[in-house]
Amino acid sequence: MTAVVETEGLTKFYGKRRGLEDLNLVIHPGEVFGYLGPNGSGKTTTIRLLLDVIRPTSGRVTVLGTDPRDASVRSRIGYLPGELFLEGRERARDYLAFLGAVRGGVPRTRIEGLAERLEADLSAPMGKLSKGNRQKVGLIQAFMHEPELLILDEPTGGLDPLVQQEFLTMVREVRASGRTVLMSSHVLAEVEHVSDRVGIVRAGRLVAVEDISALREKAVRRVEFHFDAPVPREAFENLAGVRDLRVEGAAVSCTIDGRPDALIKAAARFTVVHMVSAEPDLEEIFLTYYSDEEARHARAGVEESA
Amino acid sequence: MPALVSKSLRDYRRGLIGWTLGIGVFMLVYLSVYSSIVADPDTYGPAALAKFPGPLKDLMGGLDNFTSGAGYLQAVAYQMFGPLLFTMCAVTLGSQVIAQPEERGTLELTLTLPIDRRRLLLERFAALALSLLGIALITFVLVAGMASALDMGVPFVNIVAAHTGLFLLVLFFGTVTVTVSAATGRKSLSMGVAGAWAVGGYVVETLGRDVAAISWLRWLSPFHYYLDGRPIYQGFPTGGYLVLAGATIVLLLTAMLAFDRRDVGV
Repeated sequence: MTAVVETEGLTKFYGKRRGLEDLNLVIHPGEVFGYLGPNGSGKTTTIRLLLDVIRPTSGRVTVLGTDPRDASVRSRIGYLPGELFLEGRERARDYLAFLGAVRGGVPRTRIEGLAERLEADLSAPMGKLSKGNRQKVGLIQAFMHEPELLILDEPTGGLDPLVQQEFLTMVREVRASGRTVLMSSHVLAEVEHVSDRVGIVRAGRLVAVEDISALREKAVRRVEFHFDAPVPREAFENLAGVRDLRVEGAAVSCTIDGRPDALIKAAARFTVVHMVSAEPDLEEIFLTYYSDEEARHARAGVEESA
Repeated sequence: MPALVSKSLRDYRRGLIGWTLGIGVFMLVYLSVYSSIVADPDTYGPAALAKFPGPLKDLMGGLDNFTSGAGYLQAVAYQMFGPLLFTMCAVTLGSQVIAQPEERGTLELTLTLPIDRRRLLLERFAALALSLLGIALITFVLVAGMASALDMGVPFVNIVAAHTGLFLLVLFFGTVTVTVSAATGRKSLSMGVAGAWAVGGYVVETLGRDVAAISWLRWLSPFHYYLDGRPIYQGFPTGGYLVLAGATIVLLLTAMLAFDRRDVGV
């Protein structure tokens, strides 16, 4: 099986500013790859390199087996930009027809079918589309020619929850048909339900590539318990995976790594009135598991600038 | 027609309609007062205008023979106001080829279509050239029609020659805008370079006829290759027009190579 995306030492500097450094990444056929990182970490830089919008400073990249500079490969890619700009008085339907024609022809019924699924309004002039509708038009154009590789930069921004669900269904369908998806996000929650693997990029460097199930094990969750009476601190101390413990009267809050089992069993000894468990925060994964990595790069950064 | 050419024409359509109307109405209004100018040689005749210094008359559009048909056409349509308006139009439309969609972010998706960079630029340029050609044809019909209706007595072929030159001149400035955009992606810079070259070129060519200190600069002025052969009086100045067309092609090739090499939208 040849890789759908393969990079070797892929590096991009904007002048002296680092966009991406030494990226080695392989994406396999038929997988959904989540590309995670905070804003400005290098996600969009990577994606633009894959699409030949910008050129690498050094390193090598192949997409669907060829150099992205070969324009013909782009008819086999569907791309949703992180920020999609559409303007003018042309109707969205006509713009989609144009994009379809250039990519080798897309049946009208497929465009209408996608529009129906996403509840997109294609009759409005593009300059007057709402943010949500604009994003839907972007998704339709990315999916409509049934590309072998979908590259979606922050795909769910601006979509309401029902449409997000429909979008995730579409992504699963793409995977089921053996095609490949690369989607970026700065929120783990957006990609964790569909991704097979995730790559985490931070300050221009890929710091980890993980199986999604492995990452979830490592995820840090903030948990709060409220009891009907004050509880002793000792009951929650030194539990496996529990950190940042705070006990204030009848309230206990902490973060947990991995399994919450020990904490739940400790709490079960008292009367729980209320419990809050926040979604794992990607930022906290960075801070806990990759803090060593980060510190190393921070030092390297200081040395570079010195 | 390639899909990107027709799509680009749709992108330019709004500006195109506006400029066609603007330039057309201007020509119509100014040419229609020709009869009253001819009827009043005491104010507008060569003797009356002799009091102005030559360079000033040149700078103001070549008022040397305002009451003759050819002189009037030259002053109004072909030396100053015509090229001025039409160049503004070409530069504005030229900035829509690359720089404006790049700055507004709409170019990114176009760039990820299976069209290579050079062809993308060429097809969007082709739509610009077609747009300018359309305006040139419409305004040509207007000028030729007015000249014949008002008995200006200018040979038809000379109007064809002058209008061809006008088209080549503005296509050149439009291409300058495209080339700077292709190399830098910056709209204001590309329009500034083309605008400065146009104004500078005009001043150097008109004043340079009489002011020796700057006359050597005339070879840098696109206007030189258009005006120096006096097409409205003498017909096609073939050599000059070939220089304009050749320079446009060189600029276009430069634009294609420059655009093919750089990062877009960063």
